Amino acid sequence: MTQPLLEIRGLNVAFNTERGQIRPVRDVSFSVFPGQTVALVGESGCGKSVTALSVLRLIPQPPGQFLGGQILFAGRDLLPLDERDMRSVRGRDIAMIFQEPMTSLNPVFTIGEQIAEAVLLHQKVSPREAYDLAEKSLRDVGIADARRRLSEYPHQMSGGMRQRVMIAMALSCRPKLLIADEPTTALDVTIQAQILELLRKLQNETGMAILLITHDLGVVAENADVVNVMYASRIVESASVEDLFDRPQHPYTEGLFRSVPKLNAPDGRLATIPGQVPNPAKFPTGCKFHPRCPRTRELATRSEPAKTIDVPVGGGDRARVMRVCVEDEPLLRGVLPAHGAACHFAENYDRAPEMLPMLDHRRQVVAGAIEGAAPRGIKLEEAIKTGR
Amino acid sequence: MSEAAQQVLPYRSAPGAAGVESELAPLSETEPLLDVRDLRTYFPIRRGVFSRTVGYVKAVDGVSFSVRPGKTLGLVGESGCGKTTVGRTILRLIPATGGAVRYRGTDFFAYKGESLRRLRRHMQIIFQDPVSSLNPRMTVGRIIGEPLEVHGLAKGSEVGERVAGLLQRVGLDSSYAARYPHEFSGGQRQRIGIARALALSPDFIVCDEPVSALDVSIQSQILNLLDDLQKERNIAYLFIAHNLAVVQHFSDEVAVMYLGRIVEKASARELYGNPKHPYTMSLLSAVPEPDPRPRKMRIVLKGEVPSPSNPPSGCPFHPRCPLTRRAAAEADAKDTVEIETGGERVRVLHKCVAEMPPLEQKQGEQGHVGACWVTK
Repeated sequence: MTQPLLEIRGLNVAFNTERGQIRPVRDVSFSVFPGQTVALVGESGCGKSVTALSVLRLIPQPPGQFLGGQILFAGRDLLPLDERDMRSVRGRDIAMIFQEPMTSLNPVFTIGEQIAEAVLLHQKVSPREAYDLAEKSLRDVGIADARRRLSEYPHQMSGGMRQRVMIAMALSCRPKLLIADEPTTALDVTIQAQILELLRKLQNETGMAILLITHDLGVVAENADVVNVMYASRIVESASVEDLFDRPQHPYTEGLFRSVPKLNAPDGRLATIPGQVPNPAKFPTGCKFHPRCPRTRELATRSEPAKTIDVPVGGGDRARVMRVCVEDEPLLRGVLPAHGAACHFAENYDRAPEMLPMLDHRRQVVAGAIEGAAPRGIKLEEAIKTGR
Repeated sequence: MSEAAQQVLPYRSAPGAAGVESELAPLSETEPLLDVRDLRTYFPIRRGVFSRTVGYVKAVDGVSFSVRPGKTLGLVGESGCGKTTVGRTILRLIPATGGAVRYRGTDFFAYKGESLRRLRRHMQIIFQDPVSSLNPRMTVGRIIGEPLEVHGLAKGSEVGERVAGLLQRVGLDSSYAARYPHEFSGGQRQRIGIARALALSPDFIVCDEPVSALDVSIQSQILNLLDDLQKERNIAYLFIAHNLAVVQHFSDEVAVMYLGRIVEKASARELYGNPKHPYTMSLLSAVPEPDPRPRKMRIVLKGEVPSPSNPPSGCPFHPRCPLTRRAAAEADAKDTVEIETGGERVRVLHKCVAEMPPLEQKQGEQGHVGACWVTK
């Protein structure tokens, strides 16, 4: 069996604030294998970005604090490293691209200077060679006229072009792992398609692994091999992308899938998840999803009263739910083969073993793309309609 | 019609004849509530010491459509295509350069002063960002209640009652009236924004990306709320968004914008099932679908949206268009021309470079219009 490139075990991160400690990452474990794309999915405040920043140790301490766990990169734990060792990991072994490319690029340096700086920092090359490498990395990400672009400033470029520059910079040192935090959220759909296509192409060429942080289930479905769903700072479901979409086990995942409007889906009301995304400063007790969970409410209607309890569910409303959901927080268990869920009422949960998500799974299908012109023999309109 | 909607007595007073109120005859099924003709919004580009105008950004350039009472027109396009400017120009938050907007048959652009202010209460807007569109120094009660007082629709304790009713209607506790916006989550703030827009019982609301700043699980709550309110109060929406799945779900009719113009318009079902403009096709194919298996053939458009200050000649989409390239490969050499785009030379139809295609009826449903030389 291949060794995972990145293995996170029992990661716990806390922030000490004036109003007390909050815990944005709790007992998070998962692995990323070489060449694999692993998605971390969740809504704002679920802890996905803090998890990603922890891997690069970019959490300011204080107020941040690691309460234990390990972040093993190629077998070496990153958490005890000092700042100097960590700096050689950042950029060279693990690179990161962010949601907002404008704020991540320095406005007073040219694109060339910024990429060359990263190259000089990590590779033993002359400044001239660094510029040549910078030009090559711009060409790799599909920027025409790379030589001229090197002397441009970030404000002279469009959002999509800036995101390409970010990717070029991130990949200039050939990292083994790329952390992409909402890489296309700020971009238009046609540009998003270009960037995702580019990431897939570069991954095929270089064999790098990608940790993809996103809230967009469409982006996940088309790009990830393995998916970890986060809710209220924990992983609540983990599976291969096909399994997760075919057989979601956690009621939160189910709710997310149902509430997203899909192209060409029948009209009518959208399914919703009631209530609000919980604030990390005020998590509910037990299962953090219980105030919003349709499954526990449904079960409570046909269970004996002793096993149920009436609880406030936000907005002044109350609901009857299963007592165990309020008293005991469920752990991630392998309810199906290679499929973990953290829900007391997932199928088999009582008999299922605890699970650390370590799935060396790759998706089978590769998306076909028509770049620019449509290839002969395929009718464009047909292709779109039939989904060929 | 609900009670709330009946309180609204729209004015048919001529411009300037302020104060002459008369109950408007109900619009017929086919009569548009809002009719936009050849709307143009240009922003001057100024240079030099004397701020001389050296050109114009044609943010909106000849847009026409109509919205029927109680129906939704979706307006989609990428950033910079002018969709937000259309919404704001219609409400006269941005002055129009040309064109006309008729609201219930009267010329909205001709209204001034007091009569304009009165008419405006029937046309409201919900903004994308619920954080910056609510005054942080005002309680929720004041935010929602102020328009009621300004327009003289309620006084004293009546205001509080109306506010409480509105809060409840949008799914918030009426006790929230005493709180400030920062105490709420994004979804709750958007509900407050909706309550404010509803306060004056409008019959037309511009929804400018109302859910794109919200979490996925909250988006569907807000969309359902807007849907219910429309049915209940017969409100017409201009629904501006970039998410095609959301627009399809929500709209009766959809218009696609590119570089300040509508390039295709049809009923939602027809547009998504039978797209006629290559830009619509590529937008549809670019949407990542939440399904890992049936992969659709994707048209990845090359290049980016050109700047509206210097749009390409002829059909503004021609430098990125996959259809004209394919058509050129099969056409007579004399009908084609080589252009340079995104660092490569490609052959396209001469007509696409030379002449702007008109927005005309395409094969398909009646009313399905598109602006493309290649498709029928």
